[in-house]
Amino acid sequence: MSLLTLSRWQFAITVIFHMTFPAITVGISILLCVLYGMHWRTGKPVYLQMFRFWRRIFAVGFAIGVVAGIVITFEFGLDWGVFAAKTGPIMGPILGMEVVTAFFVEAGFIGILLYGDGRVRKGTMFAATVMVALGTLLSSTWIIANNSWMQTPSGFTVRNGRFEPTNWLHVIFSPSFLWSWYHMLAAVLLSSGFFVAGIGAWYLVKGRSTPFARRSVSIGLGIAAIVLPLQLFLGDHLAAHVLPAQLPKLEALEGYWSGTGSGGNTGYILFAIPDQQARDNIAQLSIPCLGSAIQKDLTCNSGVPGLDLTPAQDMPLMAPVFWGFRVMFYGALLMFGTVFYATIQRFRRKLWASRRFHQWLVWMTPVGILTILGGWVTAETGRQPWVVYGYLRTSQAVSHLARAELVFSVTGFILIYAAMLAAYIAYIVHTMRTGPERDHPGFRPGPPGPAEPGVSRPVSAGARVPDAVPAALAGGEASA
Amino acid sequence: MTVIWFALILLCLLMYVVFDGYDLGIGIATLAERDGQRRREMLELVAVAWDGNETWLVLLGVCLWAGFPLAFGTILPHAFLPLIVMLFGLIVRGVAVEMASQRPPAPRWEKAFGIGSLVAALAQGAAASTLAADLRVTGGAYNGSAFGALSCYSVLTALAVAAGYLALGYAYLKWKTAGELRVTAGRRGRGAGLAAVILGAGCLGAVNATAAPLNLGSPVRIAGFAGLMAFAAAGAAMALVTLRPGSPLDALPMWGLAIAAVALFLAVVTARYPVLVPPSLTAAGSVSPSRTMEFLAIGIGLDVPLILFYHWYAHYAFRGKTYGVPHGSHAESTGASDDH
Repeated sequence: MSLLTLSRWQFAITVIFHMTFPAITVGISILLCVLYGMHWRTGKPVYLQMFRFWRRIFAVGFAIGVVAGIVITFEFGLDWGVFAAKTGPIMGPILGMEVVTAFFVEAGFIGILLYGDGRVRKGTMFAATVMVALGTLLSSTWIIANNSWMQTPSGFTVRNGRFEPTNWLHVIFSPSFLWSWYHMLAAVLLSSGFFVAGIGAWYLVKGRSTPFARRSVSIGLGIAAIVLPLQLFLGDHLAAHVLPAQLPKLEALEGYWSGTGSGGNTGYILFAIPDQQARDNIAQLSIPCLGSAIQKDLTCNSGVPGLDLTPAQDMPLMAPVFWGFRVMFYGALLMFGTVFYATIQRFRRKLWASRRFHQWLVWMTPVGILTILGGWVTAETGRQPWVVYGYLRTSQAVSHLARAELVFSVTGFILIYAAMLAAYIAYIVHTMRTGPERDHPGFRPGPPGPAEPGVSRPVSAGARVPDAVPAALAGGEASA
Repeated sequence: MTVIWFALILLCLLMYVVFDGYDLGIGIATLAERDGQRRREMLELVAVAWDGNETWLVLLGVCLWAGFPLAFGTILPHAFLPLIVMLFGLIVRGVAVEMASQRPPAPRWEKAFGIGSLVAALAQGAAASTLAADLRVTGGAYNGSAFGALSCYSVLTALAVAAGYLALGYAYLKWKTAGELRVTAGRRGRGAGLAAVILGAGCLGAVNATAAPLNLGSPVRIAGFAGLMAFAAAGAAMALVTLRPGSPLDALPMWGLAIAAVALFLAVVTARYPVLVPPSLTAAGSVSPSRTMEFLAIGIGLDVPLILFYHWYAHYAFRGKTYGVPHGSHAESTGASDDH
């Protein structure tokens, strides 16, 4: 593999790994804020129970997201040093804004959110949940601003090979920014909605903690029901208004090679195995005329543009763009069907009756996350071979490293990230098995209920109190 | 503007070294702590603060990138191996600390936390040494070899930084804990502090043998350097004295070491400015265009007091010794009456 390919793989692996966690935690941070607010206002124990349970899932996910995010920041310089030197005057300040307006807010209040329970007043607790949610939202805003600038660069001039800002408003509000931002916000709400509903549904299937489980499923699906129709509109709008600026991406995600002149390409490709060398699909499956119909031509005469319209040196690889898009699209359809059915069942008051549907929801737990990853793969691989679209090629942005260095780093990241992902999944499964029972304010450890070594102390105030405190204090008194 | 921005980057670096220094140091210290309860207590101290402390590293990186893009784009590849190893260490320890505190008991995660901390500290030391090795830049891009920037000097700086962090960790432990842990922290902290002073002096002495000898060519530089070194020595001495378990001044070791670290860094900067990395990379030579710097001054510069406030508040919320124990009150502690 060339240095470029290795560097690209490293970035792809680390950024996909990173994205998995915000896909869960941004939405859950908002959920935590709502749950704590509800608890504060109504005093109902179930909200505190939900807050504590989802906080457990959130805590570790947030930590992994943070450390994996640090990696990305450094990689811009480590692996893409030329890119960093050229785009620093534009990308640097935007990321800097992310750090000062989002990271420090999150970092300042996450400790209180996670460990302040019983230590600080409820108002302070609530404020901390608001600040953390605000931080995660601001963080995604700046990141989308940065990425949108790379997709549709504007407000700059190139001087001595360096990108220099001329109009900051145009830099930040680049043509694709707002639509991408809405799209991303809706996406993280959906992914966390399905994540929460899926885990809640597991308890319904098991017949455990039903009030907790129903509220989780209800909130998760409720959010999805509101956001999903909006998201379909946003996604379509993004494709219609932004992708024309990047035609090769549009061509690649449709899956056709030949240009439209031949009168073909009127179907919609469901499945394809693209062969980039031969510029043809080894196998494909399509619905006739649907491609034309999507372009609002029901006579089956409007063809979909093929990737051959793009000169070879500006072509992205079709496979990741096509499949990234399919994952996103099929995921969206699955979620839409699920939410549609759930909403009907809710109005028929039968949402809690069907065990099979609950089982289905459990299977759907990661679907929103995978959908987001698919969308990002489309957006990023479809921008290739450019890193700053139309201005800087990825091949000219890469650091001139030694091969051994990259082999070492890529291998290390694969091993460490695989272990971390496995550990997080194991942690979620363990947290689910242990269950939300211990998080109920009225919970007292005892024979009934799932006992677990290490949680045999009252959870109300002591979850974070080291066992050694009383002893340590007794000793400390003498010397203090 | 260049100087102001350089100062801000230096602020980030110092905040990072002092704050993440203590929590990496506590991580290393857990490796030497046999008692599970005490190890957990140490871990909990880190759990509430590491995220905020590490954010200074991100701000450091991003401010360097925004203000001096060429420096960011060439220094990082120059220090590629140590920085990648540092990232590995930081990932493992960050995840481990949350895992261990969310799902106790977790001896393996505790071990991973300790090892990750040690690896990150050593790697940061090694990365610092690359700032004293020739940086080869061709056509605006880094152009060197994998191990070119590493040398015997890297071993020395790696050990010095790890010892320094360990001393900071013990100083923080002495401040924030009570009882046996406090006593052990004081005793071991003195050892670590002494090692850090010796290794630090070794680094300073050996730096003249590297590509980046100290430049003490003018009286101003000599005076500045000597004055700051006096501060560093005084800080270190204060820390070593007050680390004694018998000393009741539990906050002073941390302050002493912080002063020592800050003074030492400033002294080195005094003797190096304006060269960032030899032979010729300077702040002024890699600074961003004025429109970027204006944006940075307003957007980030004005936020600095706010982030300092957040950072202070995050520590203030967990003030006092160990958990739920305001100064002066005892016995009833947090209401978490433990029944085993």
